[in-house]
Amino acid sequence: MNSLDPRVNRLPVVGKPGEISPKAPLDQLGTFEVFVQPKEGKPFQHEGIVHAPDVEMAFVLAKEAFTRRFMCVSLYVCDTRNVYVSPLTEATANAYDLISDTVEKTGGKTSFEIYHLPKRGKQHVHAGTVQAGSPQEAMAEAKRMFKNDKTVYNIWAVRTSDIRFTSAEEKDLWLTLSEKKFRDASDYKGGDKLKEFLERNNA
Amino acid sequence: MYGGGNTFEGIKTDSIAQEDPVKLAEFEARIERGEKIEPTDWMPALYRKQLIRMIEQHAHSEIIGALPEGTWITRAPGFKRKISLMAKVQDEVGHGQLLYSAAETLGKTREQMIDDLITGKSKYSNIFNYPAFTWADSCFISWLVDAGAIVNQLANAKGSYGPYCRALDRICAEESFHLKYGHHCVIYLATGTQKQRDMFQEAINRWWTPMMHFFGPSDKISAHTEVLMRWKVKMSSNDDMRNQFLDMYVPKIWELGFTIPDENLKKNPETGRWDYTEPDWEEFKRVINGDGPCNKERLEVRRIAEERGRWVRQALKKAQTKYTVPLA
Repeated sequence: MNSLDPRVNRLPVVGKPGEISPKAPLDQLGTFEVFVQPKEGKPFQHEGIVHAPDVEMAFVLAKEAFTRRFMCVSLYVCDTRNVYVSPLTEATANAYDLISDTVEKTGGKTSFEIYHLPKRGKQHVHAGTVQAGSPQEAMAEAKRMFKNDKTVYNIWAVRTSDIRFTSAEEKDLWLTLSEKKFRDASDYKGGDKLKEFLERNNA
Repeated sequence: MYGGGNTFEGIKTDSIAQEDPVKLAEFEARIERGEKIEPTDWMPALYRKQLIRMIEQHAHSEIIGALPEGTWITRAPGFKRKISLMAKVQDEVGHGQLLYSAAETLGKTREQMIDDLITGKSKYSNIFNYPAFTWADSCFISWLVDAGAIVNQLANAKGSYGPYCRALDRICAEESFHLKYGHHCVIYLATGTQKQRDMFQEAINRWWTPMMHFFGPSDKISAHTEVLMRWKVKMSSNDDMRNQFLDMYVPKIWELGFTIPDENLKKNPETGRWDYTEPDWEEFKRVINGDGPCNKERLEVRRIAEERGRWVRQALKKAQTKYTVPLA
């Protein structure tokens, strides 16, 4: 290749230009859902996904992808396959009305995290924790505890044990965010220089 | 950053007649009410297809767009400029990730999207097929190409597809830093030595045609998009976005004492819109179809990176992993 960029000219020759063997399924790895807490005391909210080989790597990539700036005090991730999803509703229909009240109660209970979609087009927000023996039971339990006159369009339930949380020692990951002013528009003030230039030109 | 309207071929609307009329009416009523469409909702095949194409092109543009700027990181003047440009390029690659994820919710896998980019089947914003010769070119991209992208992205963020809007809200918030950074760089060149001023003037001369191409073909010659406007896939016509960009940035370029290489460029006091010489749309077509100064290099850099990373991805892969379509 003949490029302006010497690093491009130094690239090794690999394969043939324009040819690539089609990617195998999962070449880009599986997906993990990412939840971020913007401030202490605020609920976690869903931010998006990352592709990763496992939950530990997903945690690292989520930090890079979703918490470079903006406020963040904590984040967690879980495998997309471990999220149980209710039907999606619209207009004034509450997704909780589609959840059955009577579920077969099972023995050993574990805790589940429950998320609500408060508005179509917005993000899922953490609503609370319930104890249940199955995802279905968790949804029914969430209905009993969290349903009120506010319409919820979609409900997610995730077993707490399937979530990779931020540990107490890892909280310092975000302490330096506020020092990284170069990522913020307010750090680029050119107004004075521009004004001086214009005044000189108009004089 | 992103260029809208760069899909040149017309759309076929025949498939709409085969859709279930009741579901179609519900779908259109939901958009009419201003509600977002989410991945599990019913949607017409044409809506899905156009959105995949648009979001995927946008994602590719972020990734390819990082190349002409990325090449200037090591040569940026001084530590502060280097660290800013590095943060900006990291943002662009991050935006690519967000957009690929949004496109995946419509059912096209990331593997397929990367394959289609490398084989030339999918397009990306045409402007990145031009080279960044000097530091001033890099500043032109940071300020004005990003400005064009923001015009386009702010419009699209009001669209109808939930995951795309969520990604765009996040992207637009980050782009405000890019724009301010770019303007800051240009103010420093403009108020610097004569040589610095000449450098930026030359960059404008080189980039003006691709910048006018950026918003896509003129409404007079581009395919009809009424149905896409009604479904809030396309939010603004190419000429309207171009006009908005000119309105916001031509005065800022003139203010710095630079000229724009189009003697017909002026605001028409009667229509309130900008008059300009139509850029060469044959050149646009030729470049987008592969015959531009940097098309080969951009795709080769991407392909070689993909090939060289293959062993890492294979080493990381767990035997039991199965793909699941992301939720939102």
